[in-house]
Amino acid sequence: MSAPFVLSETVNLAAAVVIGMFFGFFLERGGMGNPHKLTGVFYRTDFAVPKMMFSAILVAATGLCLLTDLKVLDMSRVWIIPTFLWPQLVGGALFGLGYLVSGYCPGTAAAGLASGRLDALVTMIGIGIGTLLFSALYPALAGFYNTSDMGTATLPELLQVNHWVLLAVVYIFAGIMFYFMERHERRGQATIVKTVLQAVPPSFDA
Amino acid sequence: MKKNSFWSPYLAGAGLGFTLLASFIIAGQGLGASRAFTVVAGKALNAVAPAYTATLSYLSKYLAGSLFSDWTFLEVTGLLIGALIGVLISRGFKVRFDRGSAMSVGMRVMTAFGGGIILGFASRLARGCTSGVALTGGSQFALSGWVFVIAMFASGFLFAALFRRLWS
Repeated sequence: MSAPFVLSETVNLAAAVVIGMFFGFFLERGGMGNPHKLTGVFYRTDFAVPKMMFSAILVAATGLCLLTDLKVLDMSRVWIIPTFLWPQLVGGALFGLGYLVSGYCPGTAAAGLASGRLDALVTMIGIGIGTLLFSALYPALAGFYNTSDMGTATLPELLQVNHWVLLAVVYIFAGIMFYFMERHERRGQATIVKTVLQAVPPSFDA
Repeated sequence: MKKNSFWSPYLAGAGLGFTLLASFIIAGQGLGASRAFTVVAGKALNAVAPAYTATLSYLSKYLAGSLFSDWTFLEVTGLLIGALIGVLISRGFKVRFDRGSAMSVGMRVMTAFGGGIILGFASRLARGCTSGVALTGGSQFALSGWVFVIAMFASGFLFAALFRRLWS
């Protein structure tokens, strides 16, 4: 029998809670409940978000490639995120604005609330209202929402390459990105240390 | 909370990646978050104004079934518990109203609320958020995931240059 397992509804729903607990635990431990850390990437002061996001994508993608090739996991029974190119491009851009302004995204707002942040609760209420706004405007948006339907388009199919080739490209890209982020953060810290040292009197050395 | 009380983002990211992988194997689907907000808000609206809610065709798929039979709602409930465990073991729990150093409390209410509305609207337009589209789609090499990630970061950088004093 190959995964995903055929579970009873009750077991599957209990699994959702447990999976969610790990999800929330790692988000919080990575600092993803903190809006200063979450927005740091956009001001190039803290790159925790892309570091964590790309680490997670690489681990999960490697696992998917391996388990699919070993026939342990049947990808045809896994829900693949469908592509609607234009709505997702515009939606993603709008999402970036909402993330910058609020300092959260839906999952991280929940992590923020769990760490005691009441501003995250305000954002969560806003998200709920935003989804209702979309529902109310749906008749006018339906045309755009359903354009450029590409189904379950995946990059290996579109580019006609093996998934391992693509995975290698993502590893190289992420590696280069991590290198420059580490270098940039070290430089930023060096500047802070220098400023602090200049601010304290010379007797500090003695 | 001191910055260094968090884990390395690579370590926390690897943990998140294994969680996502486990979700594919066990449940046949990745992680999600925004759906839970739509389900809760939709059910709340339905309780207050059922006649109006019935006219919103888009919401019907979120209103079917009970709250406790919705996979993503239960997963986000778990997320709250897991994050609380994380913050308690690191002794980082503190009730506060977090904001940028240049933000007044009133301004923070507006950014948190207004930004939230944009996030909610955008997640529905994009058919998911950072969890459902970016992480899940990204790890599946789905085009949707990578389009979303690129659009989100490009837009965030652009608007951060325009609103320089918001968080920095």
